Amino acid sequence: MNNLYLPVMAKITRIEELSAHVKLFRFQRIGTSFPKNSDGLTFTPGQFVMAGIWGYGEAPFAILSSPAEDRFMEILVRKVGTVTNALHRLNVGKELAIRGPYGNGFPVSFFADKDVVMVAGGSGIPPIAALVEHIIHSRNRFGRVYLLYGAATPQDILIKDRLDAWGGHIHVLLNVDHRDPEWNGHVGLVTAMLKDIEINPLNAVAVMCGPGLMMTALEKILRPLGIADRRIYVSLEQKMQCGIGKCQHCTTGDSYVCLDGPVYNFDQIDKSWD
Amino acid sequence: METVIERNSIPCLLHALAGKYRIVAPLDKNGEVVFADLKDYENLAWGYRVTITPPKQYFFPPEEILFTYAGKQIKTPSIPRKKLLIFGLSLRDLEAITQLDEIMLKPRPDYYYARRRTGSVLVGVTDETAHKSSSGDLILEKIDADLYRAIPLTEAGKRIVAHNVFKKQGVFSRKAKGKQATNNLMQLLLDPETIANAVTWSWTEAHPFWDELGKRCLGCGICTYVCPICHCFTMENSISLDGFLCSRRRQWDACTLPGFVRTAGGYDHHPSQKMRYHNWYYHKFVRAYREYGKSQCVACGRCQTYCPAGIDMEKELTMIVRAYGEAQR
Repeated sequence: MNNLYLPVMAKITRIEELSAHVKLFRFQRIGTSFPKNSDGLTFTPGQFVMAGIWGYGEAPFAILSSPAEDRFMEILVRKVGTVTNALHRLNVGKELAIRGPYGNGFPVSFFADKDVVMVAGGSGIPPIAALVEHIIHSRNRFGRVYLLYGAATPQDILIKDRLDAWGGHIHVLLNVDHRDPEWNGHVGLVTAMLKDIEINPLNAVAVMCGPGLMMTALEKILRPLGIADRRIYVSLEQKMQCGIGKCQHCTTGDSYVCLDGPVYNFDQIDKSWD
Repeated sequence: METVIERNSIPCLLHALAGKYRIVAPLDKNGEVVFADLKDYENLAWGYRVTITPPKQYFFPPEEILFTYAGKQIKTPSIPRKKLLIFGLSLRDLEAITQLDEIMLKPRPDYYYARRRTGSVLVGVTDETAHKSSSGDLILEKIDADLYRAIPLTEAGKRIVAHNVFKKQGVFSRKAKGKQATNNLMQLLLDPETIANAVTWSWTEAHPFWDELGKRCLGCGICTYVCPICHCFTMENSISLDGFLCSRRRQWDACTLPGFVRTAGGYDHHPSQKMRYHNWYYHKFVRAYREYGKSQCVACGRCQTYCPAGIDMEKELTMIVRAYGEAQR
């Protein structure tokens, strides 16, 4: 019988310090690559892994890298608790114990041939970054694609080099809550951004992830664009322990975020999310 | 003809089975009934009503090492090859194990539960009428003080009954038995859909009942530990003193404890005891119903017996269901 609690060992091959509290970790399987699923992907964008450090424990992280990449995966780690603080002290070459990928991920085959509007806030970018990579990998299978990425200040905008690179394939709109003298983008998720977005709302989907921005994004951008709540996909964050629907930590209402989520239709969780 | 066994022959049967199985049974210890390895038949608690800790501990221990790592490979600790036979289970504890089997074995088997549970044997002993039981391998139903009717439910049960201490005798009347133990909670549990609707309704309507329970609950978690079905757990790492061996272990957790859902960084979406206590009921009676079509409760009474605040689930649930019924009129 398959023991779902056993991790596989991975080695950190790259660390990028993205801000004072956020680092990006790239890791590869030791002696092998990441297996591909029936879609030819190593995971579905929106899925997460449990990354563990011996002596500290495990925590869930959305995968940031391209799902077409089987040599490595990447996660983004904000320093907030025991495991993430321990991760921040690691160097290249150190081991991680990985389980997953877990969760449902975005229904990417449903997204095909549609316009896609993605809204990410701060460190909520990883699941959306994987989706962007997936879209760019098969760019002509998707319609008009927008990424709206906001953060508190320009310094809090993460993975800037990737945002620049993505700009050649999709529309990338940045915004901050507090500008600095060099900032010439939007300030706040504002109605003014609407004029930069041109989609067919009846053939569009939207995706959201990030602390605190959900209701603003919904009311100021996504609903005015005419996208139905059912077509707005939200990635939730919850405490996770087992990742396989047994331990009960991640439940919200009748749903197990580790199995049925972390991606939900907005109208599914509008009334029940905690 | 019926298959029966004399009470006096049961030690002989268990003695024979002890070669193949590790035998655990409810034993009387200083006036309390607990499950323990059966060594002394004198202490066997025949037809116990309730034990302090439930039998789930044998398949889902309070604490166990999932695996260890010492820098080379991940090792899963082995368990004894001798399988477990639990003798003397009540019908309710049997039903609770059936529910746990559903939860832990399907659709993604919990490796650690499965390796203990697979091949184990459950023998119920009851004063009640056993026909309602859907669970266990063999049930011994009391006919009178000296005689038990054997009801094998599985192949493992049939193999036990093939032992020569069992005899064939004429059909006994089942009417002469003592009255069926029942309580209001058991009656309520026959309609899990109404309980699910009532619990959902009471929370949506912000029924004052929850404020009251939130104040009374001490958040100690004992109700979940003594519950024969509660199965939430937490996983932790520990390191040997020399720093060379890491063990990942899991232990029973309780959704009524503070911090059960708190994420790194401190965000807690169940910040009050009221919310945590409600979550316990919600899981047992609403989520469980939607997931499995049952309440995760067998009316064993352990949670109300051992709650230090004296919260009586039977009374509380009866009240919610009644209030719900009145509101629907």
